[in-house]
Amino acid sequence: MEKFAKAFPSKPLPSKTAKPWALAGVVGSGNLEVLLERGGKPSNAMECHVETSIPGYKAAWLAALSDFAHHYAAGGTKVTINDQGAPPVLVTLRLRQAYDHLIKGDK
Amino acid sequence: MITAKTAKRRENKTERIARVGKLARGKFVAPEKVPEVLRRIVEPGDILCLEGDNQKQADFLANQLATLGKKDLRDIHLVMSCITLPAHIELFRKGMIKQVDFCYAGPQGTAVADLVKAKKFPVGAIHTYNELFARFYVDLTPRVALVAAAQADRKGNLYLAANTEDTPAVVEPTAFSDGIVFAQVNEIVDRIPHIDIPADQVDFIVQAPYPMHLQALFTRDPAAITEVQVLMAMVALRGIYEKYEVQSLNHGVGFNTAAIELLLPTYGERLGLKGKICKHWVVNPLPTMIPAIETGWVESVFAFGGEVGMERYTAARSDVFFTGRDGGFHSNRPMGQLAGLYGIDMFIGASLQIDINGNSSTVSKNRITGYGGAPNMGCQPTGRRHPSKSWLKAGAEANPGPGTSPGRKLVVQMVETFQAGRVPTFVEELDAHEPSIRKALHGVTPVMIYGDDVTHIVTEEGIANLAACRSVAERQAAIRAVAGYTPVGLKRKKRETEDLRARGIVQLPEDVGVRPSEASRSLLATQDIKGLVRWSNGLYDPPSQFVDW
Amino acid sequence: MTGAILFHEQTARQRIASLVDLHSFAELLPPPERLTSPYLAQLGIPVSFDDGVVIGRARIGGKKIYLAAQVGQFVGGAVGEIHGAKLTGLFKAAARDKVPCVLIVESGGVRLHEGSSGEIAIAETMRAIFECRALKVPTIAVIATDIGAYGGIGILSTCCDFRVMTEHGRLGISGPIVIEKWMGKKAYDSANRALVWKTSGGKTKYLLGDADALVHDTADAVRDGISKFLGKSSAVSLASIKARQKELEKRLKKFGATSEPDAVWKGMGVRDIEAASLASGPEFAALAKRGK
Repeated sequence: MEKFAKAFPSKPLPSKTAKPWALAGVVGSGNLEVLLERGGKPSNAMECHVETSIPGYKAAWLAALSDFAHHYAAGGTKVTINDQGAPPVLVTLRLRQAYDHLIKGDK
Repeated sequence: MITAKTAKRRENKTERIARVGKLARGKFVAPEKVPEVLRRIVEPGDILCLEGDNQKQADFLANQLATLGKKDLRDIHLVMSCITLPAHIELFRKGMIKQVDFCYAGPQGTAVADLVKAKKFPVGAIHTYNELFARFYVDLTPRVALVAAAQADRKGNLYLAANTEDTPAVVEPTAFSDGIVFAQVNEIVDRIPHIDIPADQVDFIVQAPYPMHLQALFTRDPAAITEVQVLMAMVALRGIYEKYEVQSLNHGVGFNTAAIELLLPTYGERLGLKGKICKHWVVNPLPTMIPAIETGWVESVFAFGGEVGMERYTAARSDVFFTGRDGGFHSNRPMGQLAGLYGIDMFIGASLQIDINGNSSTVSKNRITGYGGAPNMGCQPTGRRHPSKSWLKAGAEANPGPGTSPGRKLVVQMVETFQAGRVPTFVEELDAHEPSIRKALHGVTPVMIYGDDVTHIVTEEGIANLAACRSVAERQAAIRAVAGYTPVGLKRKKRETEDLRARGIVQLPEDVGVRPSEASRSLLATQDIKGLVRWSNGLYDPPSQFVDW
Repeated sequence: MTGAILFHEQTARQRIASLVDLHSFAELLPPPERLTSPYLAQLGIPVSFDDGVVIGRARIGGKKIYLAAQVGQFVGGAVGEIHGAKLTGLFKAAARDKVPCVLIVESGGVRLHEGSSGEIAIAETMRAIFECRALKVPTIAVIATDIGAYGGIGILSTCCDFRVMTEHGRLGISGPIVIEKWMGKKAYDSANRALVWKTSGGKTKYLLGDADALVHDTADAVRDGISKFLGKSSAVSLASIKARQKELEKRLKKFGATSEPDAVWKGMGVRDIEAASLASGPEFAALAKRGK
């Protein structure tokens, strides 16, 4: 297991979201779960905590999270990830799904 | 006038057949006599062709050959499409082979790599299919060919059923050069449905005690298609199929292209593309094409070989597939490869490794697989003269200078940036450059598709249009831009990527109108094999390993 | 034929969202509480915020229910201490509040990494289920995926009043690989998928009366299946257990000697095996005369 945390600059989240938290994905082989919560500090950063079963890919993780923080207004959120060997593309996909869910709710 | 040389060759054939004598009754040999017959008809130094490709195998004859030893047969020059069976490997282990020329070694790739390391694999060259078939007519004409057929009649005419595949390409050069053709058949009957190989091209026949081995190579279970593959399929459909109006095409055997086939009746229909794209196919009868065929997308399919379980379906859809008068499915590998080379707008397939220049390979240090037919289709045929919309559009983009073709075949590589187990697909240098492999191949690096031939790379990150790049540096930047979070991708520069994107050379999913959140398996026309059977109205009989009902 | 989201492909949370009335689900012990397994963490195995089961209150067709959905992808949906405690608590709450309880099953049984607490939790949950039944509070198990209901969860599922299954669902105690390991490949070939589904799959379980409804593999069909049983409860009594025992004896007599899975289908009135193999849900049920 490898564990790390880092905050990335990001534009502040819209002041109103449909839900206080959202979860996307499942912890399973080659998959991961992303928990996205309001109430991270400060409001211009996305605070990330990652726990992954496959060590040695920190650079790729940080790049993927940084890109997401850059493209989405996710400042003031806390991202917690439980990973069981998901490829980076799923990291991005789950983040997007959790984000959509947080903003729009269950549709 | 008969020259001295041809007379000698013909005489030699007569002698070999005379040596068999009463071991055969006419053309027919009993199974238990096969090893002795082989010992008598093959001579040291012979070019011997063992029929077998990635689907059907003359496995009984191969197994009998492998019961012999170096004292029976030696100095054999083996020519064959595919090294597939343990029996093939056995011939090398016993030291019977002085040279081998082949195309593909998928299932035995690891064993071949081991033989190379042990210096027991004297390879002439690894070929593409059509190259090897061509050389059958030039300098690699078989003296003896061991082939497989479904049925023979009492005169020795052969019926090949759905799996015609290589057989005519092997038999013709052998039979018309006084070589010996020995066929294993599943059964001997009074009347065969139609004649594929006439009896006068066949010297010996054995009814094998077990039916020839047939690999279900093209069956992809829709249940195994991931949502990432669905996303890539949507991007490819919009960014390439729709953009160039691709009418005629070949699909590889991967799950990426299976996803495209299953999106046609749903997503493709919604985009209004029916009748505009994907009308003429050069592919094996892929079970995942059933929904597209049933919804009227597909006008014709020509195949290299058959596929296990598709016999009743193809017979019932003879408007789409090539079939004999009896309704039986017809395939032909050399003609299929030729069609894939000259006749189509697009080749699209996957690969294990792609380097920074766009070269791809399926070779790793411990596995030598060869090529098969992908390079015959995944290349620019500069001999092409007939235009099509897609060909001209891609050609215009590539901005040909004076002295080059006005058109371009679309050669598309569709890969996820990582393979299973987080192995990056994109690398700075291919494993195929391994010096021991290059040495065994006389200095040739086994590249599947050359970067110069590739027009597009599709990944989950987007599309890189390599044909539109104007320099090597630009092409490398375009590849890095879609290489995701692999070490190759992490070296991209944001500004370069943005510049390429502004010029349309790099396109993200949203640039071609695809929202990644839309990518869902529920878009597939069916999610499992049972669904394919239902789409086929019960005409598709999947192999048992896929059946859970 | 296109565009339907299959129930067996959804995640536990998606299943809940597509089954219950809009916005009616209130999760108990939601992910932000971070109740994760300390045992898995010690062993260096990834943990999950819901420990493999999502529980809460919801409504179906306006009716209040308690609902749990297991996460089969997370260690095979296996029951550990927290997972088990969530299940036990939910069924106890159902008994206390007299609210029907629905369990979307997807589990191979006890989680080996925390075996004792898993075993105890399953036993306690069964007791809570029988408490519900004594109070005529309906308990319903939905079994709709190939992970299915095995081991302790297989037993637990059969303790519920009703079982709703799809053709993808499987129900048993020992899994196919375990049976093969103990009895040999000749007796039971676990790689023979057709055999496995003909012995433990939803259709066969429906024919034998182990499943009370066989529905299509969509959330709508599963919801209808659940709704039918929400107002009903079958009390456990000495008489009902004895009657069930008789049925099982009859079944053993009828099929005990056969090694041919189709024989069970034929024996239960399925005439056209091929058509029945491809049929699903109610269409399959129509092809069989289920003997009672």
